[in-house]
Amino acid sequence: MISAIILLPVLAGLLAYAFPKALAAQVKWFGVVVGAITLAGVLGAYGMPDETHAWLARPFVAAYHVGVGTGPSFWLALLLALCTTCALIATRSREQRNFVAQMLLLEGAMLALFLARDLLLFALAWDLMLIPVFILLVGSGGAAHAAWRYLIYNVTAGLALLLATAVYGIIFGSTDVIGRAGLPPIGGLWQTWVFIGFAFAFLVKTPVWPFHTWMPDAYAESPSPLAAVISAVQSKGGLYGFLAIAIPLFPDAAHAAAPFMIGLGLIGLVYGAFASLVQNDIKKIAAYSSLSHLGLILVALFSFNTIAVAGAVVYLIAHGLFSATLFLVMGFVEQREETRTLKRLGGLGGRNPKLAGALSIAALAALGLPGLAGFAGELLIVIGLYGAGLVWAATIALVAIVLASAYMLRLFQDVMQGRELADLPQRPDLGWTEGIALAPLVLALVLLGIYPQPLIASAPNASATMTTGAGAR
Amino acid sequence: MPLITAADWQSVLPAFLVAASALVVLLVEFLPVSRRRAIGSALALLGTAAAGLIAAHGYGAAVATFGGAWIGGGFTVVFEEIVIVATLFSLMLLAYTERDEQFSGSCALMLLSATGAMLMAGAGNLMMIFLGLELLSLGLYCLCGLASRPTARESAVKYLILSSMASGFMLYGMALLFGATGSVALSAIAQPGMTSPLFALGVGLFLIGIGFKLSLVPFHVWAPDVYEGAPIATTAFMSVVTKVGTLAVLARFAYAALPPDKSGLLLPLWVIAGLSMVIGNLAALAQTDMKRLLAYSGIAQIGYIVAALAGTTALGMRYAIFYLVAYTFMNLGAFAVIALLGDDQKEDTHLNAFAGLASRRPLLAAAMTFFLLALAGLPPTAGFLGKILILSANANVAAKFGMAYLWLSGLLLTGTAVSLYVYFKIVRAMYAPLRSPRALPAAPRSGVLPWIAVAVCFAGVIVMGFYPKTPSDVLPTVGTAVTHILNAKN
Repeated sequence: MISAIILLPVLAGLLAYAFPKALAAQVKWFGVVVGAITLAGVLGAYGMPDETHAWLARPFVAAYHVGVGTGPSFWLALLLALCTTCALIATRSREQRNFVAQMLLLEGAMLALFLARDLLLFALAWDLMLIPVFILLVGSGGAAHAAWRYLIYNVTAGLALLLATAVYGIIFGSTDVIGRAGLPPIGGLWQTWVFIGFAFAFLVKTPVWPFHTWMPDAYAESPSPLAAVISAVQSKGGLYGFLAIAIPLFPDAAHAAAPFMIGLGLIGLVYGAFASLVQNDIKKIAAYSSLSHLGLILVALFSFNTIAVAGAVVYLIAHGLFSATLFLVMGFVEQREETRTLKRLGGLGGRNPKLAGALSIAALAALGLPGLAGFAGELLIVIGLYGAGLVWAATIALVAIVLASAYMLRLFQDVMQGRELADLPQRPDLGWTEGIALAPLVLALVLLGIYPQPLIASAPNASATMTTGAGAR
Repeated sequence: MPLITAADWQSVLPAFLVAASALVVLLVEFLPVSRRRAIGSALALLGTAAAGLIAAHGYGAAVATFGGAWIGGGFTVVFEEIVIVATLFSLMLLAYTERDEQFSGSCALMLLSATGAMLMAGAGNLMMIFLGLELLSLGLYCLCGLASRPTARESAVKYLILSSMASGFMLYGMALLFGATGSVALSAIAQPGMTSPLFALGVGLFLIGIGFKLSLVPFHVWAPDVYEGAPIATTAFMSVVTKVGTLAVLARFAYAALPPDKSGLLLPLWVIAGLSMVIGNLAALAQTDMKRLLAYSGIAQIGYIVAALAGTTALGMRYAIFYLVAYTFMNLGAFAVIALLGDDQKEDTHLNAFAGLASRRPLLAAAMTFFLLALAGLPPTAGFLGKILILSANANVAAKFGMAYLWLSGLLLTGTAVSLYVYFKIVRAMYAPLRSPRALPAAPRSGVLPWIAVAVCFAGVIVMGFYPKTPSDVLPTVGTAVTHILNAKN
């Protein structure tokens, strides 16, 4: 059953190539239906027992082992299925077949990543999810450097992950270890180096300063449905990796690395916020704000505080929701006005009230307004950081949250409010397909803001597994 | 008791069958019928396939025949089968691309070369190794020179001269080894306690010859020129079969013939394997011709395989063979796609031939992408699993002897990172929208055989990636077969 959820988008993606050219317009709705079925499948698989098939017996034991569980894996898979479906509804592309097919393949690969319970399967899905993004980036025309940077950075990180997985497998004898509590950690020096391999891959993918230089261009040059999915979900691959692999499997190394990781996270938090304040490309504003928000989550994960980790899990999902909404809205703006430059935009809100509404909710969620999804996560993280004795980190986080208000409000004001520019091709307000694409995301942002309890409840599992190691606090 | 028994002949039957097919194909030329080409290719394919079936029966513990000149059994059979599979694919490409009047000759030469490689796979003494090597090379010189293009002749002469020089090195090394040990048998070389400086010198020269044949850096300069000039089917054949035969010799020599106290002599080999992985990929970056590009990438790929042998562990041998089989499928698959790109008149091997291929011929583009992913070591292919298995073999050595032994893994990852740009450059060309619509090439010739090759290679690469049980069930006995080679007394 769990395999079926992973295989459905993959097979449907391959099938999309078989659509005759005459039916190209229908491919999108085929993709949407597949996405919706996958979404229902993920919901239905909540708490379902794991599925295991033998894969390798030597040189180490590896299994095709997938599981949904009730923790972060489930929520991230749900986020992925939701974002992919919404992104497909919002799709407008000349090469519709190729686009839909690769988006579905991407969904399948990322589902395998979040549901994998085996390190080798995780590494496989990790590399696999990079390929559709590259193909879509080069296929969208222009900006080849963005595609190259994306690929070279992330696959190089993937190679570090591969070596770390191989070494771990040889030393420990099995890679079927994700989510297993109470495993004996591997010995001293090896633990350090294997942790470094994993951590490098996760830091690049998230991305965390100073490994982020591939990110702004890749997000800005992607077609916005793709940008929505990779910024909302693929970036979580790295943080999920810390949460589910790097910290629980290598507790001593993780504790030793904590000051370093917290430092990187805080630098990214502040740097991203300031960089976001001065961008002129609306997509880059969102990209740098991601750098800032994801840095905060990294700090929370390495505080080893239960409340902060719960906050991190809530914020993982919340960030995914508002990031996807932001990128989709920006895509609509770009389609209407044929520009992403802040200086060339202005006053759209008057003619596009619905578009303005969607952007305002996403922006408010991103700046942490109480009642929307971002708030619960940020509050828990700051409380947790304070509780863990990281007062200075909590202070810096608060400053960055204030900066988030500044750049998000700047974005909203410069795009939607102010003088209406006469020379822009003003198009009608949100159409019904565009509305349908945004509605579930906005709804989820509000719901999660009012009732984040299920997510918070799922998080202690995460922190329990991650503090079972020798060096737990 | 006769000197040579029926069992002796039986052990070399597959190689003889392939050689016999070559002669039969030549005779087909004299048949008074019109479809000589179809009959010839069918006979060649059938003969080779039959040899493969018969060879499979020889699988088991190592048996020495012909007084130790030939060693049958698991190890030999595995390498023979790889040669046979590669020859089958190359024959399919040959049947598709070669001109009518040259078909029988080319086909026979290719089969004879394959026989040479099979002899190398089972060679138990130095004479046999050299015999196989020369048989393999002689056929290839002619095959390279057969094409009508002027570059083909250049390619043939280059290959002849450089390859003969390599053979010279190897032969001199063999002579020194004979001088040091008083025997040409590999089992005699394996006796420990050899102190003669001739021995070390002999091993060194022998390995230089091997390095030439495997086109490892710094002995690689001939490969790109020869690959570029040769017709595509020959290039495909050369890129796999010469490597398989030579790797069999190298593996047997390194694992079974060299006494354990002399394993330090192999260190230069691991170093040049590491260099090949990095330099091969770096040089591939600048290439605009697909054959040259694949030549350089092949240098790196062989580097990966030799790197797996480093430390001469049973695990390393297993994964070297796994990767070799995967390489056979992915490399020949890529060559089949390139063959399908050309038209009746000429091969189209320039990188430009791939521009916008995804919208012109989506299936072909998808197949090429798949093989390139495999070569780059990315999922969902056997290339991915092969790389992680080689890394594991290295990690295994490092876990035993110390973390510093991971240096080869480091070089492997560096090379792989560079190779991404090489392979994805082609992917990008296929999927990026064209600025100016390119004039479509002449209508592609329909070819069933290359498509069969593509399909089988595709299946091979994907099955090995997800269901490696098949090869890894076979391979444990290979590891033991290697250690048994010496115990098999005639």
